[in-house]
Amino acid sequence: MTKKIDQFQKMLLIIIVIYSVFVSVKNPQFLQVQTVFDIVKTSSTTMIVAIGLLVVMISGGIDVSFMAIALFGSYTSLLVMINTGINSLVFAFALSMLIGTCLGLVNALLINWLKLPPFIITLGTQNLFHGIMTTFISDKSFGSGVLPSCLHEFGQGTLFKVATENGSAGLTVSLIPVLLAGIATYFVLRKTMIGRGIVAIGNDEESARRAGFNPFKIRLFVYAYSGALAGMMGIIYAAQVNALYPNKMVGDELMVVAAVVIGGTKITGGQGKIFGAVLGVLIIYLLNSTLILIGLSSSWNNLFVGAILVIAVAVTSYQERVKNRSHLIFTE
Amino acid sequence: MNKIKKMVGKDLDLSILVGLALLVLVTVAGAFGGSMYSGRNIQSMAFQIPEFGFLALAMMLSNMVGGIDLSIIANANTVAIFTAYVLNGTWAFGTEGIARVILALIVAAVTSLIFGAFNGLIIAKTSAPSLIATLGTMTLIQGIGMALTGGSSIGDIDPLFAEFGKSVVLGLPLIFWLFLLVSLILGLILSLTGFGRKLYLYGGNPVAARFSAVNNEKMSILVFMATGFLAGMAGLIILSRVNSAKVGYGDSYLLQTMIVCVIGGISPNGGKGKVQGVVIAIIMMQVMSSAFTIMSLSPYTKKLIWGIMLVLVLGLNHVIAAYSQKRTLKQSMKNLQSAQ
Amino acid sequence: MEPILCARNISKSFIGVRALNNIDITINAGEIHCLAGENGCGKSTLVKCISGVYTPDHGEVEISGEKYKNLTPIEAMNKGIQVIYQDLSLFQHMTVAENIAISKLKFEGNKTINWKKIKSIAKEQLNKIGVKMNLDETVGEISMANRQMVAICRALAQDAKILFMDEPTTALTKTEVDHLMKIMLELKKKGLAIVFISHKLDEVFTVADTITIFRNGDKIGDFNSKDLDEKSLSYHMTGREIEYPRYHRTCKDNSPILEIDHLTRKGQYEDISMTIRPGDIIGLTGLLGSGRTELAMSLFGLNPTQSGSIRINGKETSIASPMAAKKQGIALLPEDRFNQGLFIERKIKENISSALIDTICKKGLIRKAEEDTIAQKYVNELKVRTPSIETVVGTLSGGNQQKVVIGKWTATAPKVFIMDTPTVGIDIGSKSEIYEQIHKFADGGMAIIFISDEIQEIMANCNRVIVLANGKCIREFDENELGQDGADKIITDLIGSQSAEEVTP
Repeated sequence: MTKKIDQFQKMLLIIIVIYSVFVSVKNPQFLQVQTVFDIVKTSSTTMIVAIGLLVVMISGGIDVSFMAIALFGSYTSLLVMINTGINSLVFAFALSMLIGTCLGLVNALLINWLKLPPFIITLGTQNLFHGIMTTFISDKSFGSGVLPSCLHEFGQGTLFKVATENGSAGLTVSLIPVLLAGIATYFVLRKTMIGRGIVAIGNDEESARRAGFNPFKIRLFVYAYSGALAGMMGIIYAAQVNALYPNKMVGDELMVVAAVVIGGTKITGGQGKIFGAVLGVLIIYLLNSTLILIGLSSSWNNLFVGAILVIAVAVTSYQERVKNRSHLIFTE
Repeated sequence: MNKIKKMVGKDLDLSILVGLALLVLVTVAGAFGGSMYSGRNIQSMAFQIPEFGFLALAMMLSNMVGGIDLSIIANANTVAIFTAYVLNGTWAFGTEGIARVILALIVAAVTSLIFGAFNGLIIAKTSAPSLIATLGTMTLIQGIGMALTGGSSIGDIDPLFAEFGKSVVLGLPLIFWLFLLVSLILGLILSLTGFGRKLYLYGGNPVAARFSAVNNEKMSILVFMATGFLAGMAGLIILSRVNSAKVGYGDSYLLQTMIVCVIGGISPNGGKGKVQGVVIAIIMMQVMSSAFTIMSLSPYTKKLIWGIMLVLVLGLNHVIAAYSQKRTLKQSMKNLQSAQ
Repeated sequence: MEPILCARNISKSFIGVRALNNIDITINAGEIHCLAGENGCGKSTLVKCISGVYTPDHGEVEISGEKYKNLTPIEAMNKGIQVIYQDLSLFQHMTVAENIAISKLKFEGNKTINWKKIKSIAKEQLNKIGVKMNLDETVGEISMANRQMVAICRALAQDAKILFMDEPTTALTKTEVDHLMKIMLELKKKGLAIVFISHKLDEVFTVADTITIFRNGDKIGDFNSKDLDEKSLSYHMTGREIEYPRYHRTCKDNSPILEIDHLTRKGQYEDISMTIRPGDIIGLTGLLGSGRTELAMSLFGLNPTQSGSIRINGKETSIASPMAAKKQGIALLPEDRFNQGLFIERKIKENISSALIDTICKKGLIRKAEEDTIAQKYVNELKVRTPSIETVVGTLSGGNQQKVVIGKWTATAPKVFIMDTPTVGIDIGSKSEIYEQIHKFADGGMAIIFISDEIQEIMANCNRVIVLANGKCIREFDENELGQDGADKIITDLIGSQSAEEVTP
């Protein structure tokens, strides 16, 4: 966290720039404001959960239940709003984030009790949360007509509009929650004691305990924070697609893990940057929406994302290994 | 009675598992009566076990070395796609009939081993945690399948091959016998051979294995190749049962394979567990699955049940581990006293 | 002087060992109190019980009049107890400044972080002990000695009432140790109680007011440091009137078995040469980070060398992996027994056969009878105290575990056996049995490289000694030189002589 940007992120930036230049040469359509704004809009939701996941991974954990949490939170709060006729965006966010926080706390409690790899536990709670929601709350789908109108307005809202050849293109309002999440997370990680505690337990839990931190409390915070961000993301997602389904979002969590790892976050904890996670998400969405522009179908998407992820993992792990070995540290 | 007590004490985990399995079998029998254990239902369960069973064995191997292989399902599907291309003539290189089936089997074996070796190489040579390394290869292998097929299913395969998935020997499906045979061989390899011993040592403490002159890199590559191969077998069985291959088939198996491993006594931290435990857990899982089908539960409810099961089993394991830790301490104090 | 901490009837057991047996101790303000004893006598365990890291099985701790049965680390810190642990407990990816200041800020109850304040705290503390360091470097990047300085600064930053230091000098040079002693005396003047753990006798005498001696988990007694001399202290620590029996080489074969020529790995060790004959027990000594473990790892194929050559039986070879080392007849008893030496959850016999799996296999199948025979043989030979070879290794005591690791490598019949601090954390009974075994091995023609910084142990077991400092060999002693009076004093001084400016740039 000392330098604003490190070697690895510089590489990612260069890759993004080179790829963008390549795409725009092949297909100038890419340079249109509309295309750029679209990428920002579709990637904005993912960025929020990626930031939440980043915090979890810095603490040395991992979470694959956040999409189920996002769905649980947004579906439940919107259902409440449909049934009671409340039409308030603040209410939607507040309730969804509250639910997200609670579910996150459940994750933290289980991890603390069972002392097992968080991946397995959160994979279990992912199914648990989704199952509870669909079994005990509801599994109906809701189309655009039924949803509260404030949601639609938010989903279509723009910060400003730019006039282009084919009408005008607007930058989505969803960017504001992303910025808020980013700034808040930066503040928490960098400027608060609990944030330093997160980094500390990611470095070495035992040392953190000896330095006076309480790993259990920190873990509660970390997973609750990730849950709250997931709850927030769920509402934005529902607003953007302007519909509510009981089976969306869940299943995309590994893609977010991939993005955060591509951003240079250490899976063993203690290190990771918000900017890196954002770049990771950006790379994936850039590929997602530009493969068609360079003449490949979207089926090629996974191939490229997979290749980048494998390379990113191999490079970061190998550097770490060389460093460890020269200090005579053997991890395997 | 004493004998049973002794056996239970010797292998607590396995004994609990057998007890649990019996409980499930009896409960299900009580709830559904004859229909559950009719010849027809048993046979249909035996048809369903192998594809999931092979994936679970693959997951088991990766767990035993303290890792996890997220790429097994992608591997199975992409191997199935490759094989389907050979079997429907696209990549048949002029072969026909039995020759084409043999070519297909070779292609399946080679691709699954290559995928596995790729995992193993990354993990061995860069020390990447297997969770993210296989997340990468999962996406990549899925990507290969996607790029080839565009997401559509590849069918129209040689009928000769489809026979393999349907044939019945001695009242049970051929593929079920195959699954039992492979489990048996795997169990013997793990308990009797030098390779098996090294696998347990490497899984239990890879650093100490390195300091004991065990070739860790070789172990990791071999284990992940075996994992890949088992996943490829699952792919072949899927292909012969469904008669077509496609990306994304059986995605929900990932959680179930992990549940089966945990119930079967495999520690996710490595170095512990036996094949027989996992096989019992697989069968138990299938019985429950069939019961859910008879009850016509929604996929959501199944998800809920699997989620609860995983958390419960992990909790139970935790309690048992705490108990046996206490027992070990007591035992060691006894040893200490007798030594003095 | 008033007592500020009393611990009463503290007992603590771990799997296989009773680490503390009904210990009472009183610590007074404004006093330097030394806990002395050989490796594994229970000193560190006592500190962890007092600082809340371990919960003792019995007994209570009373701090400033309040009694605790289950003290937590946070409570202990709130009561003014500060500990510098042997493993330092630093955060690798955090900066020097943050490592120094974070506990203090946390302790003061700050909710937010002021980075300027962090830097000023760090600077102040480093100035206090007179060390210059780059505050923005991450701790993972700095040297072992500097890490020790950071840990000391971190403890000093908090206004501790009682400061525990667990072996704070293992990586410090003589100058740095002197400096530290001066700081300790100053802190004492300010009314701080300092509890200082060491197995180095000269340090103990320089600063201590009271010395409490431990042996094998029991407290031998509290002594005024004026009432003890080195000899009586040593007697109380070991429980023996005389020193360990001295090793003399009897082997007739003088052809070198292992020759190292100008071996170098930049930043770790440089230009190391030595010749080892069968029956030699070469003591390799120096501070932590002096290159001793680094060299051992290189000879075992775990740390590639950059230049120089290795000859075994006169033939030049390269050792690229532990597999190659084993083939050449080189064995390593690693420093970290728990992580590197043992498969803690597996049986004794599986541990003993772990380096021999290919040998006991026939057509890929393990010959279980042969495995049992080998395991039984080495369990008997090394006197491992266990009900059977089927016992899980984790249930044995540290000493017996170490014997199992030794047995594992002896079973491969090595020509050169490198032992990296083989007696750390081992009870005294097992210790002398291990020495006895080592002598027996050497008499049988094995060459042994014995790494240690416990001087008595080096003097008793080695017929030659090499002293490393800053990665360089600064002096070699042969049998005659070792036999002379005062050789141990010379070696002790040499170990600490590492030039200070190189360590703290």
